[in-house]
Amino acid sequence: MFQLPTVQFTQEQEQFRLDVRTFLQDELAKGTFTPKCDSWLSGDDPEFSKLIGQKGWIGLTWPKQYGGQERSTIDRYILTEEFLAVGAPVAAHWFADRQTGPLLLRYGTEEQREYFLPKIVKGECYFGIGLSEPNSGSDLASVSTRAEKVEGGWIVNGQKIWTSNAHLCHYMVTLVRTSPFDGKSKHAGLSQLIVDLHAEGITIVPIKFLTGEHHYNEVFFDNVFVPDSMVVGEIGNGWAQGLAELAFERSGPERILSTFPLIDELIQELKRQNNLEGLQQASKIVARLWGLRNLSIGVAQLLESGNGDDVSIPAALVKALGTKFEQSIPEITRLIIQTYPTLDAHRKIDRFMAESILHAPGFTIRGGTSEVLYGVVAKGVVAQ
Amino acid sequence: MSEMKDMIVDVVERMLKEKVDKELVDTVEQGHWAPELWELLKENGMTDVAITEKNGGAGGDIEDLLNIVRLTGKYAAPIPFTETTFANYLLEFTNLQVIEDLATYMLCPNQAFSLENGKLTGEAIQIPWARHTKHLVTLANSTEGTHLVEIDLSQAEIKLGSNLAGEPRDTVIFQHAKVSQVSPVLSSDDVHAITTLHSAFQLALMTGAIDKINDLTVQYTKEREQFGRPIHRFQLVQQHIVQLAGETAIALAAFNNVTEALQMNNQNSEVAYARIRFEEVIQAVTTISHQVHAAIGTTHEHSLHQFTRRLWSWRDEGTSTSYWTNLVATQLLENSGDSLWEYLTSFSSNSPLLKVEG
Repeated sequence: MFQLPTVQFTQEQEQFRLDVRTFLQDELAKGTFTPKCDSWLSGDDPEFSKLIGQKGWIGLTWPKQYGGQERSTIDRYILTEEFLAVGAPVAAHWFADRQTGPLLLRYGTEEQREYFLPKIVKGECYFGIGLSEPNSGSDLASVSTRAEKVEGGWIVNGQKIWTSNAHLCHYMVTLVRTSPFDGKSKHAGLSQLIVDLHAEGITIVPIKFLTGEHHYNEVFFDNVFVPDSMVVGEIGNGWAQGLAELAFERSGPERILSTFPLIDELIQELKRQNNLEGLQQASKIVARLWGLRNLSIGVAQLLESGNGDDVSIPAALVKALGTKFEQSIPEITRLIIQTYPTLDAHRKIDRFMAESILHAPGFTIRGGTSEVLYGVVAKGVVAQ
Repeated sequence: MSEMKDMIVDVVERMLKEKVDKELVDTVEQGHWAPELWELLKENGMTDVAITEKNGGAGGDIEDLLNIVRLTGKYAAPIPFTETTFANYLLEFTNLQVIEDLATYMLCPNQAFSLENGKLTGEAIQIPWARHTKHLVTLANSTEGTHLVEIDLSQAEIKLGSNLAGEPRDTVIFQHAKVSQVSPVLSSDDVHAITTLHSAFQLALMTGAIDKINDLTVQYTKEREQFGRPIHRFQLVQQHIVQLAGETAIALAAFNNVTEALQMNNQNSEVAYARIRFEEVIQAVTTISHQVHAAIGTTHEHSLHQFTRRLWSWRDEGTSTSYWTNLVATQLLENSGDSLWEYLTSFSSNSPLLKVEG
């Protein structure tokens, strides 16, 4: 079985955690935001993103020349934990910070880095991730949105779906087929293009979430021109480049903490009730959370030390286990205390319950279904 | 991971791999043990790890020792290794003299012996390996309070017993037997520290067995063919493999975090969380591994049961999980001002395990 490193936070890191926490508590007291569960999907607030950007907390690990802070992956882990633990609205800049930045730093051109990264760190430039299509969900390599070479660029036609917050985003890193399926490798002939979502030929259509909220979208491409300068990495290398993003996407605290505000409120409620028996039951949740956090931080440490190749299997495992955990929280909570979940509830715990119940089905689907992840992990374990 | 630890782990694992096979482990059930293996570990200084050099120890620290214990769990080594090393660790922890011979311990406060004028009286059950060991390190109650005492087992009446895995778990009876060493009165914090350390040793053993069960099961899915292909190719079997890998990874990471916290004397509630979580790990790992092994895994001939039966025994020995759920619940309740997140991430409320005052 693979061994993940342990992490002991330094004093500077502990201090950083407290600084972030103090800032968030102050903003909370000022009424800048309302905490919610699953805030990294549903908490879109460009003003808050700009505030975070002013603090230097977007692109924390990136080089200073692009506006980053050159801090460690563990520092970013701490920052992300603090945002999610309090349920802060970090959705607007989320994907640009988590995925697009690292992608451009690894595969982007100098021009792309200089253009996009400083805007991203200011909290002013948001990216969507264009992967799924109506007929390409788990079988992602079957995407059929295509780009044809023309003078100076590419013409894109097709459709993406389930694009989180595309209606708020400025750009989308889009996986397209740049050469037809050769009958052998479905992974060949795929490329990543940065598409301007305000370009001519783009239509964004909301898909209402089951709560009635607008997070997901369909994005249609009708002869959209994308200049050559917006190709990420190499033409035909899109699959490999996309896989490299996955370790960042799959193993972070957001795969464990999406329902943390509910856990916290459950504990507070039990404390108010002086309910020792309830707290004993809740201690199992805390123990599970601790166990998962050990794994998730271990993967972050591996990413920090640059052993990216060893990371994909544990990262997939963390997502499969973590999302199952966050999904289970409302079900456990309602058996420990009486709740009445409604989205406009006066009592915080009832609102968090409502948000958690209604968002829970998505946890084990978005970013790779558990079934796909299980396949990845099983093959990895057997090959060891 | 220290270089020293890597080296120790490497050496011990090679020894155990070479010397411990299914047949040797089976002999425990017939009342035997493996003195040659003990001697080998002793010659190599592995039985004195984490005892300070001034007390005749071999150097090394608690992290090293817990990792050796983990390996003895992984190979189900039929020797009183945990018992002797932990007994000595506790003697040093309470400023008593460490001992040379094989030893065992009794740390359950509610079956503490009574101590009067240096004499021990009472009966305690489920004492590991008592029949094969010479000394007992045990909790005892005097009129002043609770002590840790060391006593020669030759004065005891020993009734043989065994746990679900056939490991010796004997009843020990003393009638006014003379103790060799007595600690000062232990505070409730001292007793809690001893309980915490004991649970850490048990977590080490369990981690080893869990790791081994995972290895055995993955290997079996590669060797066993049905419908013309190895069974790991079936998606429903893959689901078992992943769940098993997940629980094993959780256990290993939990163990590593516990040992690191103890090593840095920075233990807050890691042992509690790990012990609570291991209940679920053990339930999942034993169920899944048997399901994957199917009929052959239920036979005595196969080695799987040597590890699953041990887990089913070890989880109920020593301090029960309810002690830890109650502890966490009480801490949460008493931390009235703090949110759960502050509690989970706080380092200000460190409760280092201090050595008992001499």
